[in-house]
Amino acid sequence: MTGAGWLVLRLAVGVGLCPLLPGLTQTIKARLQGRRGGSPLQPYRELRRLWGKSGVDPDGSGPVYRAAPAVTAAALVAALAVVPLAGNRDSGSLLGHDALVLVGLLALARFVVTLAAWDTGSGFALMGAGRDLTFAVFVEPLLLLVLILAALPSGSTDLSLLAARTAGSARWTTPVAWCAAAGFLLVVLAETGRQPIDNPDTHLELTMVHEGPLLEYAGRDLALLQWAAAARHWVVLVLAVTVFLPHGGPTWSRALSLVVGLPLLCAALALTETWQAKMRILRVPHLLLTGSLLALAGFASYFAIGAP
Amino acid sequence: MTAALLLAGVVLLTVGSIAPMSTRLTAVAQACQLAGIVVVGASGAAVFAGAPAIGGPFRDAVAPAVGVDPVTGFFLLALAVVAVPGVLFAVGSLAVDPSARALHSLTGLFVLAMVGVLLARDVTVFLACWELMTLLPATMILLTRRDRSVRRTVFVYLAMTHLGGAGVWVALLATASVHGFSDPTALAHHGVLAVTGISAAAAVGFGTKAGLMPLHSWLPRAHPVAPAHASALMSGMMIKVAVYGLVRLAMGWLGPPASWLGWALLVVGALSALGGVVYALVQHELKRLLAFHSIENVGIIALGLGAYLLLRTHGASVWASLALAAALLHTLNHATFKALLFLGAGAFGQQVGSLDLDRLGGLLRRMPWTGGSFLIGAMAIAGLPPLNGFASEWLTMQALVHTAIGTPASAALPAALAAAALAATAALAALCFVKVVGLTLLGPPRREACARASEVAPSMRTATVFLAACCVGLGLAPGLLVSRLVTLTPHPAALATAGGIAAPGTGGLPTVGLLVTLVGLAAALVWARSRRVSATAPVWICGQPADPALAWTSAAFTKPLRLVLEPVLRPERSLGFDSDRAIVRRISYASAVPHLFDTHLFEPVVRAALAGARIARRLQSGSLRGYALSLLVLVLTLLVFARLGVLS
Repeated sequence: MTGAGWLVLRLAVGVGLCPLLPGLTQTIKARLQGRRGGSPLQPYRELRRLWGKSGVDPDGSGPVYRAAPAVTAAALVAALAVVPLAGNRDSGSLLGHDALVLVGLLALARFVVTLAAWDTGSGFALMGAGRDLTFAVFVEPLLLLVLILAALPSGSTDLSLLAARTAGSARWTTPVAWCAAAGFLLVVLAETGRQPIDNPDTHLELTMVHEGPLLEYAGRDLALLQWAAAARHWVVLVLAVTVFLPHGGPTWSRALSLVVGLPLLCAALALTETWQAKMRILRVPHLLLTGSLLALAGFASYFAIGAP
Repeated sequence: MTAALLLAGVVLLTVGSIAPMSTRLTAVAQACQLAGIVVVGASGAAVFAGAPAIGGPFRDAVAPAVGVDPVTGFFLLALAVVAVPGVLFAVGSLAVDPSARALHSLTGLFVLAMVGVLLARDVTVFLACWELMTLLPATMILLTRRDRSVRRTVFVYLAMTHLGGAGVWVALLATASVHGFSDPTALAHHGVLAVTGISAAAAVGFGTKAGLMPLHSWLPRAHPVAPAHASALMSGMMIKVAVYGLVRLAMGWLGPPASWLGWALLVVGALSALGGVVYALVQHELKRLLAFHSIENVGIIALGLGAYLLLRTHGASVWASLALAAALLHTLNHATFKALLFLGAGAFGQQVGSLDLDRLGGLLRRMPWTGGSFLIGAMAIAGLPPLNGFASEWLTMQALVHTAIGTPASAALPAALAAAALAATAALAALCFVKVVGLTLLGPPRREACARASEVAPSMRTATVFLAACCVGLGLAPGLLVSRLVTLTPHPAALATAGGIAAPGTGGLPTVGLLVTLVGLAAALVWARSRRVSATAPVWICGQPADPALAWTSAAFTKPLRLVLEPVLRPERSLGFDSDRAIVRRISYASAVPHLFDTHLFEPVVRAALAGARIARRLQSGSLRGYALSLLVLVLTLLVFARLGVLS
């Protein structure tokens, strides 16, 4: 298949399937808590319902508020294109596969949503926005450090190379892989806004982090933002399966890892949410810093012990 | 050809700087200045792009000499990108200023002094222009602001840059005296101590002027009090001329740089980047906040230079030249967006008076051109795709990552830490500029003057829009510059000339694809959204009516981060009760984040220096006998030394 073909396939799969991940997590969580819960397809129904409704613009809001959901969704679509799934590297791709470009796109999405919070002037939205950006200050160094750990075998930040070279079991005999996996799981929790870092189900404005800036949105805007949150799940969980957790090398075996790994990770998220309470907000940076120190320790061990 | 062009440019610029002395010639003078800067920039760009270099290399002899090589050419180009809008902005912003003619003249001379430093090919021209470059902005500040506190600020600026700048004199004169400019190996013959000394002196000298921590203290004081276009020139270009010195130093201008310089630049760069942005976050005045961001960005440039030196030491020549390219690209990019932000701040200041962040708001709707440009500049400095700040921060980060994965532990571990610091810096800058844009451009106006603001004069608007266009353009095609920048090192790397950056060992930075995808998709989705008519409704505050007094402030937005960083920042809070017997009449609350470098580093040094001066003053008793005695002691000491053979 050509590069453009892979790109279209990757986008179709990502855009279409990403709402399944939060849906599945919610379903499993409900079962774990002894409730019947909704179907994993519930997010699709939500998106369809919201897409049919008209939006609400708060008094005094301007173009930034109106454009923010669209820019966020556009950044996440680009991020879906950057994250390779299982195919070979497509050199002719429009957006490439660079890990740091992905980091930039996620930062862009966060920037515009928090900026929209200022355009509404709502205290609740700004409270959440300030917290979200504060967490980002500790998530981004952690993400960078685990990316360095993952880039050690290939010497490249190209995600498709990264995925290929971190395949196999030999890597798991050294602390490097374990530290990278542990660090990245913290990134997954932070980027998806899951407990113990954030509570996606909260209806209490005072405790909101990611949900805070979304408070004023309705209709198509909210649909775009909810889809973007689901796409964030897709991006980090796919990266976790194809790079940071044990996975196979060839195309078919990596595809298999995805089919098995993504539901398992959703179940893991649901389990964490069931068993962990939300953390005090000021403790979260400590948790993320611990992750960074772990990643640094892994990096130091690479020089002390070496890697296979 | 380029030499003649350059000469014409310098002559035009000189004429344009002298002519404003006459009232009738002001317009002609401004045209001359603009034309001169454009021509100088064009000739610099020509040499950078591959035209033959003008003049020879740097000389040891003390005889005036000038020249242009590709590095100088690149900086001349950056200078033109900043100075053209700067001068253009001044045309509008100084229209009613009583000292406008003097300021126009000084602006031209200031640009000329910076051109002089860049062109200098011997010690005398370099140092003369270097000192002029320091003094002229001080004059501009003193012309516009006459209050006592500003005079004090200018004193601190001059004192610090001269004390630190002495390092430049020492390093350059020492190198010239051992003929180190013409023969790079000459310095090595004088031992490790000479190499270390010269590298340290030059790093301190250029680092002070560039605003690197911990010698940055003058920068956040001096930049905010200057007129807007002077702030833009100072933050945009003057500190970049110091970066030019650092770049030359790293490239072996003063003999081979000391082996520790790479680590030192990484440490100082990480400290400046993090420290600059953290202190920027807690500022309440827009221009002072922007000044702290200059420290942050010079730190990022220093990280690139540090990575260059470490990679070169370990023989990774491809990534070494890419790291140098990253530092140079960020120099140009920072010049663009920082000038844009300072000019935007100047335009806001002209419309609304004070730039207290908590008392602005709603300016995007009232000043769409300036406000829109400011928004683009803010997104660029926050390092967001697809703008120019992202391109250079991406390349700097890649250089650090490749130092971490491609060199031995001694270089790799510091590089990994520096990469983490750079990531944190980028996130902090995003936090800071969300706050700045939110408080300045968005939401309801927070005071009467903001509600009455309107768009500024066309020349000022043109200047900011031009710089915003540069931010987008440089973000779209950084590869054109990078493919040329990587050839400046002794072991050049070859890179395909394209819009994006296709560096080896990365997934590439497809800038065109990013811009097209983001803008195209966002536009389509905005259209899709607008298909359903939206209703308006009041903001949700748990059902209460919106009260302007409850509006979110700068301090509130950064509160979570301030709480997390409390052990580092040591904020001060004071809570006072004014009670009449048991009844509390008034509660006063004040909080501030002291600048720890000032309170813990500079104040003790100043106190010690003043105490030393008090002791030394005792020698000046005023009595003739005392002076005669000191003379006698001096003569006797000299005689004893001569006798012992110490003075040979």
